[in-house]
Amino acid sequence: MRYKVLTVDDSKTVRIIVKKAFKGYDCEIIEAANGVEGLAAASKETPDLILLDITMPVMDGVEMLTKLKSDPALKAIPVIMLTAEGGRDNVLKIAKIGVRDYIVKPFKEEVLVEKCGRIIDLKPLTEGPQKAKSIFDPATLLVVEDKPAIIQQIQEGLKHTPWKIHGVNTTGEGIDYCSKNTPDLIIISLSLPEEAAFTLFRLIRQNVKTKYTPIFALVVKTEAAAQQQAQQVGFSYIVTKPIEIAEMESKIAKAMNLDTSQRYFAVDGDVFVMRLPENCSQTVVGEVTNYLKPKVSGAVDSGIVKAVIDLHELKSLNMAVIKLLIQAMQTCKDLALQYTLVGNPQIVSECKGFEDTRNWTFHESIADAKASFSRSAQPAGAA
Amino acid sequence: MPTIDQISESVFRETINRAVQDVFKTMLGKTATLENASAVANADGSPWEHPVHISGQHVVGTVGFIGDISGLIYLYLEDKFANDVASHMLGMTLAEIDEAGHEVVNDAVGELTNMTVGTFKNQLADKGFPCKLTIPSILRGSNFSIEPVSSATRRIYRFHVGEHAIVADLLMKSGD
Repeated sequence: MRYKVLTVDDSKTVRIIVKKAFKGYDCEIIEAANGVEGLAAASKETPDLILLDITMPVMDGVEMLTKLKSDPALKAIPVIMLTAEGGRDNVLKIAKIGVRDYIVKPFKEEVLVEKCGRIIDLKPLTEGPQKAKSIFDPATLLVVEDKPAIIQQIQEGLKHTPWKIHGVNTTGEGIDYCSKNTPDLIIISLSLPEEAAFTLFRLIRQNVKTKYTPIFALVVKTEAAAQQQAQQVGFSYIVTKPIEIAEMESKIAKAMNLDTSQRYFAVDGDVFVMRLPENCSQTVVGEVTNYLKPKVSGAVDSGIVKAVIDLHELKSLNMAVIKLLIQAMQTCKDLALQYTLVGNPQIVSECKGFEDTRNWTFHESIADAKASFSRSAQPAGAA
Repeated sequence: MPTIDQISESVFRETINRAVQDVFKTMLGKTATLENASAVANADGSPWEHPVHISGQHVVGTVGFIGDISGLIYLYLEDKFANDVASHMLGMTLAEIDEAGHEVVNDAVGELTNMTVGTFKNQLADKGFPCKLTIPSILRGSNFSIEPVSSATRRIYRFHVGEHAIVADLLMKSGD
Protein backbone atom coordinates (compact mmCIF):
# COMPACT_ATOMS: atom_id res chain seq x y z
CA MET A 1 0.00 0.00 0.00
CA ARG A 2 1.38 3.37 -1.02
CA TYR A 3 0.91 5.88 1.80
CA LYS A 4 -0.02 9.50 1.19
CA VAL A 5 1.59 12.25 3.25
CA LEU A 6 0.21 15.79 3.00
CA THR A 7 2.70 18.56 3.77
CA VAL A 8 1.08 21.91 4.54
CA ASP A 9 3.67 24.70 4.66
CA ASP A 10 3.89 28.10 3.01
CA SER A 11 7.61 27.55 2.48
CA LYS A 12 8.35 25.71 -0.74
CA THR A 13 11.76 24.97 0.77
CA VAL A 14 10.20 22.95 3.57
CA ARG A 15 7.93 21.10 1.15
CA ILE A 16 10.96 20.20 -0.98
CA ILE A 17 12.89 19.03 2.11
CA VAL A 18 9.92 16.84 3.08
CA LYS A 19 9.82 15.35 -0.43
CA LYS A 20 13.57 14.78 -0.30
CA ALA A 21 13.31 13.08 3.10
CA PHE A 22 10.74 10.58 1.83
CA LYS A 23 12.37 10.00 -1.55
CA GLY A 24 13.64 6.56 -0.60
CA TYR A 25 10.28 5.38 0.76
CA ASP A 26 7.17 4.04 -0.85
CA CYS A 27 4.90 7.03 -0.24
CA GLU A 28 3.37 9.88 -2.14
CA ILE A 29 3.84 13.48 -0.98
CA ILE A 30 0.97 15.91 -1.56
CA GLU A 31 1.62 19.63 -1.08
CA ALA A 32 -0.44 22.55 0.16
CA ALA A 33 0.76 26.11 0.85
CA ASN A 34 -1.75 27.16 3.54
CA GLY A 35 -4.59 25.92 5.71
CA VAL A 36 -7.31 26.43 3.09
CA GLU A 37 -5.39 24.47 0.47
CA GLY A 38 -4.52 21.93 3.17
CA LEU A 39 -8.16 21.27 4.09
CA ALA A 40 -9.10 20.94 0.42
CA ALA A 41 -6.25 18.49 -0.21
CA ALA A 42 -7.14 16.52 2.92
CA SER A 43 -10.76 16.13 1.73
CA LYS A 44 -9.78 15.22 -1.80
CA GLU A 45 -6.87 12.88 -1.15
CA THR A 46 -7.60 11.52 2.35
CA PRO A 47 -3.90 11.34 3.28
CA ASP A 48 -2.58 8.86 5.83
CA LEU A 49 -0.64 11.59 7.61
CA ILE A 50 -0.51 15.40 7.62
CA LEU A 51 2.61 17.46 8.36
CA LEU A 52 1.39 20.88 9.42
CA ASP A 53 3.12 24.24 9.80
CA ILE A 54 1.59 26.97 11.97
CA THR A 55 2.57 30.39 10.62
CA MET A 56 1.02 30.57 7.16
CA PRO A 57 -0.93 33.21 5.24
CA VAL A 58 -4.66 32.84 4.40
CA MET A 59 -5.30 30.24 7.11
CA ASP A 60 -2.74 29.27 9.75
CA GLY A 61 -2.03 25.77 10.98
CA VAL A 62 -3.91 26.07 14.28
CA GLU A 63 -7.12 27.06 12.49
CA MET A 64 -6.68 24.28 9.94
CA LEU A 65 -6.06 21.76 12.73
CA THR A 66 -9.18 22.92 14.60
CA LYS A 67 -11.34 22.63 11.46
CA LEU A 68 -9.82 19.25 10.62
CA LYS A 69 -10.58 17.86 14.06
CA SER A 70 -14.19 19.09 13.91
CA ASP A 71 -14.82 17.38 10.56
CA PRO A 72 -16.03 13.78 11.13
CA ALA A 73 -14.60 12.69 7.77
CA LEU A 74 -11.13 14.08 8.46
CA LYS A 75 -10.63 14.04 12.20
CA ALA A 76 -9.04 10.59 12.25
CA ILE A 77 -6.15 11.63 9.99
CA PRO A 78 -3.03 11.78 12.19
CA VAL A 79 -1.28 15.16 12.27
CA ILE A 80 2.34 15.95 13.08
CA MET A 81 3.09 19.62 13.63
CA LEU A 82 6.25 20.70 11.79
CA THR A 83 6.81 24.29 12.77
CA ALA A 84 9.23 26.88 14.11
CA GLU A 85 6.56 27.81 16.71
CA GLY A 86 7.77 26.01 19.81
CA GLY A 87 7.82 26.98 23.44
CA ARG A 88 6.38 24.69 26.11
CA ASP A 89 3.03 26.43 26.63
CA ASN A 90 2.40 26.81 22.92
CA VAL A 91 3.17 23.15 22.23
CA LEU A 92 0.91 22.00 25.09
CA LYS A 93 -1.97 24.20 23.88
CA ILE A 94 -1.78 22.84 20.32
CA ALA A 95 -1.22 19.26 21.48
CA LYS A 96 -4.57 19.46 23.27
CA ILE A 97 -6.37 20.04 19.95
CA GLY A 98 -5.13 16.62 18.93
CA VAL A 99 -1.76 16.03 17.29
CA ARG A 100 0.27 12.83 17.16
CA ASP A 101 3.65 14.49 17.39
CA TYR A 102 5.29 17.89 17.38
CA ILE A 103 8.53 18.62 15.54
CA VAL A 104 10.08 22.03 16.14
CA LYS A 105 12.15 23.41 13.25
CA PRO A 106 15.05 23.19 12.56
CA PHE A 107 14.72 19.46 11.95
CA LYS A 108 16.78 16.64 10.55
CA GLU A 109 15.24 14.68 7.70
CA GLU A 110 16.01 11.39 9.49
CA VAL A 111 14.09 12.53 12.56
CA LEU A 112 11.10 13.50 10.42
CA VAL A 113 11.07 10.11 8.68
CA GLU A 114 11.59 8.27 11.96
CA LYS A 115 8.65 10.06 13.64
CA CYS A 116 6.39 9.53 10.62
CA GLY A 117 7.49 5.89 10.55
CA ARG A 118 5.95 5.47 14.00
CA ILE A 119 2.54 6.38 12.57
CA ILE A 120 2.58 4.92 9.06
CA ASP A 121 4.32 1.72 8.05
CA LEU A 122 6.94 3.28 5.78
CA LYS A 123 8.66 0.83 3.49
CA PRO A 124 11.98 1.68 1.84
CA LEU A 125 11.82 1.57 -1.95
CA THR A 126 13.83 -1.27 -3.38
CA GLU A 127 16.32 -0.29 -6.04
CA GLY A 128 15.28 -1.39 -9.50
CA PRO A 129 11.60 -1.94 -8.78
CA GLN A 130 11.01 -5.17 -10.70
CA LYS A 131 14.38 -6.86 -11.04
CA ALA A 132 15.31 -9.17 -8.16
CA LYS A 133 18.86 -8.70 -6.90
CA SER A 134 21.20 -11.42 -7.97
CA ILE A 135 23.78 -13.41 -6.06
CA PHE A 136 26.42 -11.54 -8.10
CA ASP A 137 25.29 -8.08 -6.98
CA PRO A 138 27.13 -6.27 -4.19
CA ALA A 139 25.51 -6.11 -0.77
CA THR A 140 26.52 -4.97 2.71
CA LEU A 141 26.29 -7.23 5.73
CA LEU A 142 26.74 -5.92 9.25
CA VAL A 143 28.07 -8.38 11.83
CA VAL A 144 27.79 -7.35 15.50
CA GLU A 145 29.96 -9.78 17.44
CA ASP A 146 32.26 -9.17 20.41
CA LYS A 147 34.67 -11.87 19.28
CA PRO A 148 36.85 -10.59 16.43
CA ALA A 149 37.79 -14.16 15.43
CA ILE A 150 34.18 -14.92 14.50
CA ILE A 151 33.90 -11.75 12.40
CA GLN A 152 37.11 -12.75 10.68
CA GLN A 153 35.79 -16.27 10.05
CA ILE A 154 32.65 -14.87 8.40
CA GLN A 155 34.67 -12.40 6.32
CA GLU A 156 37.03 -15.15 5.25
CA GLY A 157 34.24 -17.62 4.53
CA LEU A 158 32.26 -15.19 2.39
CA LYS A 159 35.17 -13.52 0.61
CA HIS A 160 34.26 -15.28 -2.66
CA THR A 161 30.93 -13.40 -2.65
CA PRO A 162 30.50 -9.77 -3.78
CA TRP A 163 29.23 -8.96 -0.28
CA LYS A 164 31.03 -6.49 1.96
CA ILE A 165 31.13 -7.74 5.54
CA HIS A 166 31.33 -4.90 8.05
CA GLY A 167 32.18 -6.17 11.52
CA VAL A 168 31.68 -4.25 14.77
CA ASN A 169 32.26 -5.37 18.36
CA THR A 170 29.60 -3.51 20.32
CA THR A 171 25.91 -2.63 20.04
CA GLY A 172 26.85 1.07 20.19
CA GLU A 173 28.94 0.71 17.06
CA GLY A 174 26.11 -1.30 15.46
CA ILE A 175 23.56 1.44 16.17
CA ASP A 176 25.95 4.09 14.93
CA TYR A 177 26.55 2.13 11.70
CA CYS A 178 22.80 1.67 11.09
CA SER A 179 22.15 5.38 11.62
CA LYS A 180 24.54 6.21 8.78
CA ASN A 181 24.11 3.18 6.50
CA THR A 182 21.42 0.73 5.51
CA PRO A 183 22.90 -2.76 5.56
CA ASP A 184 21.18 -5.44 3.48
CA LEU A 185 21.40 -7.95 6.32
CA ILE A 186 22.49 -7.86 9.94
CA ILE A 187 23.99 -10.68 11.99
CA ILE A 188 23.96 -10.20 15.77
CA SER A 189 25.75 -12.44 18.25
CA LEU A 190 23.52 -13.47 21.15
CA SER A 191 26.64 -13.72 23.31
CA LEU A 192 26.92 -9.92 23.58
CA PRO A 193 26.85 -9.01 27.29
CA GLU A 194 23.61 -8.28 29.17
CA GLU A 195 21.24 -9.44 26.45
CA ALA A 196 22.39 -6.51 24.34
CA ALA A 197 21.55 -8.49 21.18
CA PHE A 198 17.83 -8.30 21.96
CA THR A 199 17.99 -4.57 22.77
CA LEU A 200 19.83 -3.98 19.49
CA PHE A 201 17.25 -6.10 17.63
CA ARG A 202 14.44 -3.89 18.96
CA LEU A 203 16.28 -0.67 18.09
CA ILE A 204 16.97 -1.88 14.55
CA ARG A 205 13.31 -2.81 14.11
CA GLN A 206 12.24 0.65 15.37
CA ASN A 207 14.47 2.37 12.80
CA VAL A 208 12.35 2.93 9.70
CA LYS A 209 15.36 2.30 7.43
CA THR A 210 16.07 -1.11 8.90
CA LYS A 211 12.53 -2.12 9.87
CA TYR A 212 12.46 -4.85 7.21
CA THR A 213 16.16 -5.72 7.11
CA PRO A 214 16.70 -9.45 7.76
CA ILE A 215 18.42 -10.01 11.11
CA PHE A 216 20.23 -13.26 11.87
CA ALA A 217 21.16 -14.41 15.36
CA LEU A 218 24.52 -16.01 15.97
CA VAL A 219 24.60 -18.49 18.86
CA VAL A 220 26.41 -21.58 20.09
CA LYS A 221 24.63 -24.73 18.93
CA THR A 222 23.98 -26.01 22.46
CA GLU A 223 22.38 -22.82 23.80
CA ALA A 224 18.80 -23.88 23.24
CA ALA A 225 17.22 -21.27 25.52
CA ALA A 226 18.86 -18.36 23.68
CA GLN A 227 17.83 -19.85 20.33
CA GLN A 228 14.25 -20.17 21.49
CA GLN A 229 14.23 -16.60 22.74
CA ALA A 230 15.65 -15.37 19.42
CA GLN A 231 12.92 -17.22 17.54
CA GLN A 232 10.22 -15.72 19.73
CA VAL A 233 11.59 -12.20 19.32
CA GLY A 234 11.52 -12.58 15.54
CA PHE A 235 15.09 -13.03 14.31
CA SER A 236 14.92 -14.03 10.64
CA TYR A 237 17.25 -17.02 11.07
CA ILE A 238 19.55 -18.52 13.67
CA VAL A 239 23.12 -19.33 12.67
CA THR A 240 24.73 -21.77 15.06
CA LYS A 241 28.38 -21.91 16.05
CA PRO A 242 30.51 -23.59 14.84
CA ILE A 243 29.40 -21.78 11.69
CA GLU A 244 28.63 -23.82 8.59
CA ILE A 245 29.58 -21.09 6.10
CA ALA A 246 27.96 -22.64 2.99
CA GLU A 247 24.69 -23.11 4.83
CA MET A 248 24.82 -19.57 6.20
CA GLU A 249 25.60 -18.16 2.74
CA SER A 250 22.59 -19.93 1.32
CA LYS A 251 20.33 -18.63 4.12
CA ILE A 252 21.67 -15.09 3.64
CA ALA A 253 20.88 -15.26 -0.08
CA LYS A 254 17.40 -16.51 0.69
CA ALA A 255 16.77 -13.86 3.37
CA MET A 256 17.91 -11.10 1.00
CA ASN A 257 15.61 -12.61 -1.63
CA LEU A 258 18.50 -12.96 -4.06
CA ASP A 259 18.17 -14.69 -7.37
CA THR A 260 20.72 -17.53 -7.02
CA SER A 261 19.73 -19.28 -10.23
CA GLN A 262 22.74 -17.90 -12.10
CA ARG A 263 24.93 -20.15 -9.96
CA TYR A 264 23.32 -23.21 -11.48
CA PHE A 265 21.84 -22.16 -14.81
CA ALA A 266 23.32 -20.29 -17.75
CA VAL A 267 22.99 -19.97 -21.49
CA ASP A 268 26.25 -20.63 -23.33
CA GLY A 269 25.77 -19.65 -26.98
CA ASP A 270 22.82 -21.72 -28.19
CA VAL A 271 23.11 -24.24 -25.34
CA PHE A 272 21.34 -24.20 -21.99
CA VAL A 273 23.71 -25.29 -19.18
CA MET A 274 22.70 -26.64 -15.80
CA ARG A 275 25.70 -26.82 -13.48
CA LEU A 276 25.92 -28.52 -10.09
CA PRO A 277 28.58 -27.25 -7.64
CA GLU A 278 31.29 -29.27 -5.88
CA ASN A 279 29.25 -29.76 -2.71
CA CYS A 280 25.63 -30.42 -3.50
CA SER A 281 24.01 -30.07 -0.08
CA GLN A 282 20.32 -30.58 0.60
CA THR A 283 19.90 -26.78 0.43
CA VAL A 284 21.53 -26.62 -3.01
CA VAL A 285 19.39 -29.51 -4.28
CA GLY A 286 16.32 -27.66 -2.98
CA GLU A 287 17.33 -24.42 -4.71
CA VAL A 288 18.07 -26.11 -8.05
CA THR A 289 14.80 -28.08 -7.90
CA ASN A 290 12.87 -24.86 -7.37
CA TYR A 291 14.50 -23.12 -10.33
CA LEU A 292 14.53 -26.17 -12.64
CA LYS A 293 11.19 -26.05 -14.42
CA PRO A 294 10.95 -22.25 -14.87
CA LYS A 295 14.55 -22.05 -16.10
CA VAL A 296 14.20 -24.92 -18.62
CA SER A 297 10.86 -23.53 -19.83
CA GLY A 298 12.43 -20.09 -20.19
CA ALA A 299 15.26 -21.50 -22.28
CA VAL A 300 12.83 -23.39 -24.55
CA ASP A 301 10.69 -20.27 -24.81
CA SER A 302 13.69 -18.29 -26.05
CA GLY A 303 14.31 -20.85 -28.81
CA ILE A 304 17.01 -23.03 -27.26
CA VAL A 305 16.82 -26.75 -28.14
CA LYS A 306 20.03 -28.13 -26.59
CA ALA A 307 21.03 -28.58 -22.95
CA VAL A 308 24.13 -29.69 -21.06
CA ILE A 309 23.92 -31.02 -17.51
CA ASP A 310 27.36 -30.22 -16.17
CA LEU A 311 28.58 -32.34 -13.24
CA HIS A 312 32.32 -31.90 -13.70
CA GLU A 313 32.70 -29.99 -10.42
CA LEU A 314 30.54 -32.37 -8.41
CA LYS A 315 32.49 -34.38 -5.80
CA SER A 316 30.12 -37.25 -5.21
CA LEU A 317 26.61 -38.53 -5.83
CA ASN A 318 23.86 -39.13 -3.32
CA MET A 319 20.22 -40.10 -3.63
CA ALA A 320 18.98 -36.48 -3.54
CA VAL A 321 21.33 -35.50 -6.37
CA ILE A 322 20.36 -38.55 -8.44
CA LYS A 323 16.69 -37.72 -7.96
CA LEU A 324 17.35 -34.14 -9.05
CA LEU A 325 19.25 -35.29 -12.16
CA ILE A 326 16.46 -37.70 -13.15
CA GLN A 327 13.97 -34.87 -12.72
CA ALA A 328 16.14 -32.54 -14.83
CA MET A 329 16.37 -35.10 -17.62
CA GLN A 330 12.63 -35.74 -17.51
CA THR A 331 11.96 -32.00 -17.73
CA CYS A 332 14.21 -31.77 -20.80
CA LYS A 333 12.40 -34.74 -22.37
CA ASP A 334 8.98 -33.25 -21.63
CA LEU A 335 9.99 -30.05 -23.41
CA ALA A 336 11.73 -31.90 -26.29
CA LEU A 337 15.09 -30.46 -25.28
CA GLN A 338 18.09 -32.43 -26.52
CA TYR A 339 20.43 -32.95 -23.55
CA THR A 340 23.75 -34.50 -22.65
CA LEU A 341 25.90 -34.94 -19.54
CA VAL A 342 29.39 -33.79 -18.59
CA GLY A 343 31.13 -35.52 -15.67
CA ASN A 344 34.45 -36.16 -13.99
CA PRO A 345 35.93 -39.68 -13.59
CA GLN A 346 34.72 -39.93 -9.98
CA ILE A 347 31.09 -39.22 -10.93
CA VAL A 348 31.25 -41.45 -14.01
CA SER A 349 32.52 -44.25 -11.79
CA GLU A 350 29.90 -43.70 -9.07
CA CYS A 351 27.14 -43.75 -11.67
CA LYS A 352 28.09 -47.30 -12.59
CA GLY A 353 27.15 -48.37 -9.06
CA PHE A 354 23.48 -47.38 -9.15
CA GLU A 355 20.73 -49.12 -11.06
CA ASP A 356 19.15 -45.82 -12.15
CA THR A 357 22.39 -44.24 -13.35
CA ARG A 358 24.28 -47.24 -14.73
CA ASN A 359 23.50 -46.43 -18.36
CA TRP A 360 24.23 -42.70 -18.24
CA THR A 361 26.94 -41.61 -20.64
CA PHE A 362 29.18 -38.60 -20.07
CA HIS A 363 31.37 -36.22 -21.98
CA GLU A 364 34.59 -34.95 -20.50
CA SER A 365 33.99 -31.27 -21.18
CA ILE A 366 31.29 -28.85 -22.23
CA ALA A 367 33.09 -28.39 -25.57
CA ASP A 368 32.88 -32.16 -26.21
CA ALA A 369 29.23 -32.15 -25.18
CA LYS A 370 28.42 -29.27 -27.53
CA ALA A 371 30.27 -30.96 -30.37
CA SER A 372 28.24 -34.12 -29.78
CA PHE A 373 25.01 -32.29 -30.65
CA SER A 374 26.15 -31.82 -34.21
CA ARG A 375 27.09 -35.54 -34.50
CA SER A 376 23.91 -36.98 -33.10
CA ALA A 377 20.36 -35.87 -32.69
CA GLN A 378 19.81 -38.54 -30.00
CA PRO A 379 19.85 -37.64 -26.32
CA ALA A 380 23.30 -38.84 -25.20
CA GLY A 381 22.48 -39.30 -21.51
CA ALA A 382 19.24 -41.19 -22.00
CA ALA A 383 18.92 -44.21 -19.76
CA MET B 1 4.92 39.34 34.61
CA PRO B 2 8.64 39.66 33.78
CA THR B 3 9.68 42.70 31.74
CA ILE B 4 12.07 42.95 28.84
CA ASP B 5 14.47 45.00 30.95
CA GLN B 6 15.05 41.95 33.10
CA ILE B 7 16.69 40.14 30.20
CA SER B 8 20.41 40.77 30.37
CA GLU B 9 22.69 41.34 27.41
CA SER B 10 24.35 37.99 28.02
CA VAL B 11 20.97 36.22 27.79
CA PHE B 12 20.23 37.88 24.42
CA ARG B 13 23.69 37.01 23.23
CA GLU B 14 23.48 33.40 24.38
CA THR B 15 19.96 32.99 22.98
CA ILE B 16 20.77 34.29 19.49
CA ASN B 17 24.05 32.37 19.51
CA ARG B 18 22.26 29.11 20.30
CA ALA B 19 19.58 29.79 17.67
CA VAL B 20 22.03 30.50 14.84
CA GLN B 21 24.30 27.61 15.79
CA ASP B 22 21.42 25.15 16.10
CA VAL B 23 19.85 26.08 12.76
CA PHE B 24 23.09 26.10 10.79
CA LYS B 25 24.22 22.81 12.33
CA THR B 26 20.91 21.00 11.84
CA MET B 27 19.94 22.28 8.41
CA LEU B 28 23.35 22.78 6.79
CA GLY B 29 25.76 20.70 8.87
CA LYS B 30 27.86 23.86 9.34
CA THR B 31 29.30 25.46 12.47
CA ALA B 32 28.49 29.11 13.06
CA THR B 33 30.88 30.96 15.37
CA LEU B 34 29.87 34.17 17.12
CA GLU B 35 32.41 36.96 16.93
CA ASN B 36 33.27 38.57 20.23
CA ALA B 37 32.73 42.15 19.16
CA SER B 38 29.06 42.83 18.53
CA ALA B 39 27.52 46.23 18.66
CA VAL B 40 24.66 47.30 20.89
CA ALA B 41 23.01 50.65 20.32
CA ASN B 42 20.25 51.96 22.52
CA ALA B 43 17.58 54.39 21.52
CA ASP B 44 19.02 57.09 23.76
CA GLY B 45 19.45 59.78 21.17
CA SER B 46 23.01 58.87 20.28
CA PRO B 47 23.60 59.09 16.49
CA TRP B 48 23.34 55.92 14.47
CA GLU B 49 26.37 54.82 12.63
CA HIS B 50 25.51 52.25 10.06
CA PRO B 51 26.68 49.13 11.89
CA VAL B 52 26.18 46.55 9.16
CA HIS B 53 28.62 47.11 6.35
CA ILE B 54 27.20 45.82 3.13
CA SER B 55 29.74 45.10 0.45
CA GLY B 56 28.60 43.21 -2.59
CA GLN B 57 25.22 41.63 -3.24
CA HIS B 58 23.37 40.46 -0.12
CA VAL B 59 20.23 38.55 0.63
CA VAL B 60 18.58 39.52 3.91
CA GLY B 61 15.84 37.44 5.52
CA THR B 62 13.48 39.01 8.04
CA VAL B 63 11.06 37.44 10.50
CA GLY B 64 9.32 39.23 13.33
CA PHE B 65 7.94 38.06 16.69
CA ILE B 66 4.94 39.61 18.39
CA GLY B 67 3.60 39.06 21.88
CA ASP B 68 4.81 39.77 25.39
CA ILE B 69 8.06 40.63 23.69
CA SER B 70 8.13 42.05 20.15
CA GLY B 71 10.78 42.69 17.57
CA LEU B 72 12.36 41.32 14.45
CA ILE B 73 15.57 39.81 13.27
CA TYR B 74 17.35 40.46 9.97
CA LEU B 75 19.70 37.72 8.85
CA TYR B 76 22.29 39.03 6.34
CA LEU B 77 23.89 36.55 3.93
CA GLU B 78 26.23 37.27 1.02
CA ASP B 79 24.37 36.25 -2.12
CA LYS B 80 26.88 33.52 -3.01
CA PHE B 81 26.48 32.05 0.45
CA ALA B 82 22.70 32.34 0.10
CA ASN B 83 22.99 30.21 -3.05
CA ASP B 84 25.08 27.67 -1.12
CA VAL B 85 22.47 27.59 1.64
CA ALA B 86 19.63 27.01 -0.85
CA SER B 87 21.65 24.35 -2.66
CA HIS B 88 22.30 22.48 0.58
CA MET B 89 18.78 22.76 1.96
CA LEU B 90 17.07 21.74 -1.27
CA GLY B 91 19.55 19.10 -2.41
CA MET B 92 20.11 20.95 -5.70
CA THR B 93 23.37 21.77 -7.49
CA LEU B 94 24.53 25.40 -7.69
CA ALA B 95 23.84 25.29 -11.44
CA GLU B 96 20.26 24.19 -10.73
CA ILE B 97 19.91 26.97 -8.15
CA ASP B 98 21.16 29.53 -10.67
CA GLU B 99 18.68 28.26 -13.21
CA ALA B 100 15.83 28.25 -10.67
CA GLY B 101 16.44 31.95 -9.92
CA HIS B 102 16.02 34.27 -6.97
CA GLU B 103 12.64 32.98 -5.88
CA VAL B 104 14.04 29.62 -4.76
CA VAL B 105 16.95 31.21 -2.88
CA ASN B 106 14.65 33.77 -1.28
CA ASP B 107 12.36 31.02 -0.03
CA ALA B 108 15.29 29.04 1.42
CA VAL B 109 16.77 32.10 3.16
CA GLY B 110 13.29 33.02 4.40
CA GLU B 111 12.89 29.57 5.91
CA LEU B 112 16.38 29.64 7.43
CA THR B 113 15.52 32.99 9.04
CA ASN B 114 12.15 31.67 10.18
CA MET B 115 13.86 28.74 11.91
CA THR B 116 16.49 30.99 13.49
CA VAL B 117 13.98 33.51 14.81
CA GLY B 118 11.71 30.65 15.91
CA THR B 119 14.52 29.05 17.94
CA PHE B 120 15.39 32.47 19.40
CA LYS B 121 11.86 33.40 20.43
CA ASN B 122 10.98 29.89 21.68
CA GLN B 123 13.80 30.21 24.24
CA LEU B 124 12.40 33.58 25.31
CA ALA B 125 8.90 32.08 25.48
CA ASP B 126 10.20 29.46 27.90
CA LYS B 127 11.65 32.30 30.01
CA GLY B 128 8.17 33.83 30.36
CA PHE B 129 7.82 35.96 27.20
CA PRO B 130 5.35 34.16 24.88
CA CYS B 131 5.19 35.54 21.35
CA LYS B 132 4.32 34.45 17.82
CA LEU B 133 6.27 34.52 14.59
CA THR B 134 5.40 36.58 11.53
CA ILE B 135 5.70 35.50 7.91
CA PRO B 136 9.24 35.91 6.47
CA SER B 137 10.20 38.55 3.93
CA ILE B 138 13.35 39.08 1.89
CA LEU B 139 15.50 42.06 0.96
CA ARG B 140 18.04 41.93 -1.85
CA GLY B 141 20.61 44.52 -2.81
CA SER B 142 24.18 45.75 -2.68
CA ASN B 143 24.09 49.23 -1.32
CA PHE B 144 21.47 49.74 1.32
CA SER B 145 21.07 50.19 5.01
CA ILE B 146 18.27 49.22 7.34
CA GLU B 147 17.49 51.81 9.99
CA PRO B 148 15.23 51.19 12.97
CA VAL B 149 12.80 53.72 14.35
CA SER B 150 14.10 55.63 17.33
CA SER B 151 12.11 53.63 19.87
CA ALA B 152 13.85 50.36 18.96
CA THR B 153 16.81 48.76 20.61
CA ARG B 154 19.29 47.29 18.21
CA ARG B 155 21.74 44.47 18.80
CA ILE B 156 24.04 43.20 16.11
CA TYR B 157 25.74 39.82 16.24
CA ARG B 158 28.32 38.77 13.68
CA PHE B 159 29.01 35.12 12.94
CA HIS B 160 31.43 33.22 10.79
CA VAL B 161 30.33 30.13 8.94
CA GLY B 162 33.46 28.72 7.33
CA GLU B 163 34.78 31.49 5.08
CA HIS B 164 31.48 33.36 5.07
CA ALA B 165 30.31 36.12 7.39
CA ILE B 166 26.68 36.41 8.45
CA VAL B 167 25.02 39.04 10.58
CA ALA B 168 22.01 38.68 12.85
CA ASP B 169 20.51 42.13 13.41
CA LEU B 170 18.05 42.06 16.32
CA LEU B 171 15.64 44.95 16.64
CA MET B 172 13.35 45.04 19.63
CA LYS B 173 10.59 47.27 20.75
CA SER B 174 11.72 48.90 23.98
CA GLY B 175 9.95 47.82 27.17
CA ASP B 176 6.52 49.39 27.71
